[in-house]
Amino acid sequence: METAPILELSREEIVARIEQGARQRRRLSARELLRQYQAGSLDEPGEVADLLALAHLLAEDDPLLAAA
Amino acid sequence: MPPPELPALLGEVRELTARYQAGRPNCFEAFRQLTALLLHLTVLAPQGGVRLARGRRPDTLALGGWSGPDDPLPLLDNRYLRLSFTLFMAQTPEGPRLKVQDSSYQYQADRDGRDWIFRYDYLRVPPHPHPAAHLQIRGGLAGGYLSAGTPLERFHFPTGRVSLEGVIRLLADQFHVPCNEPPEIWRPVLAESEQAFLAIARRPLSGPAE
Repeated sequence: METAPILELSREEIVARIEQGARQRRRLSARELLRQYQAGSLDEPGEVADLLALAHLLAEDDPLLAAA
Repeated sequence: MPPPELPALLGEVRELTARYQAGRPNCFEAFRQLTALLLHLTVLAPQGGVRLARGRRPDTLALGGWSGPDDPLPLLDNRYLRLSFTLFMAQTPEGPRLKVQDSSYQYQADRDGRDWIFRYDYLRVPPHPHPAAHLQIRGGLAGGYLSAGTPLERFHFPTGRVSLEGVIRLLADQFHVPCNEPPEIWRPVLAESEQAFLAIARRPLSGPAE
């Protein structure tokens, strides 16, 4: 298999994707989605596993996570 | 007689497996290449691709479609597999090792995933009291045995760690998703790769201990 370049995502791109997905699928803001996830109260986290994978790419002290 | 290209493919699987299990360097890329190889031999449509994405954490990457973990993979049956992994580098007594934080395989009929069919999730920290590794099916159950008001899709059937190879077999053998190569090629390749995965896979409990 050939090597594939890593997709480099800026913080702004990551946050925008989570925001869009959270609003379309859950009618939640990214901040509220991640707050519920970190509190263990997010309904069906597997349904938004792709958005949570993006959230794991944010810095641990990112304001979006720190406020959650 | 095995197909002539099979020994080379098995060798490639062993080499990629050894690289991703050995930790740095390039273990993330080896894991990606192995994932891509298994999918390209089987159910992945020609225009699909598997790629790593990196953000603001140096030792954490996401694995998913070409545009990121929120980009589902097109399949040869014109449906999709949303594959999203969070991978991280853990310090172990044997040195740094690649670990899976979370993984999710969702087979879906539409690109957006509203019309999903089944989903296998593995969450290292699952919400209470769901099993860390579970299967959800979007469908009905004959006989009316479900709890009142709870659709089947909200049941989390505990599973062991389900491998990518297991999901590919389910798609190919039971959902009849066409494959790029004949089973004489992909079955031995999946078996070789899955055996190596099962040897090291973390096996979570089927629910919380307390």
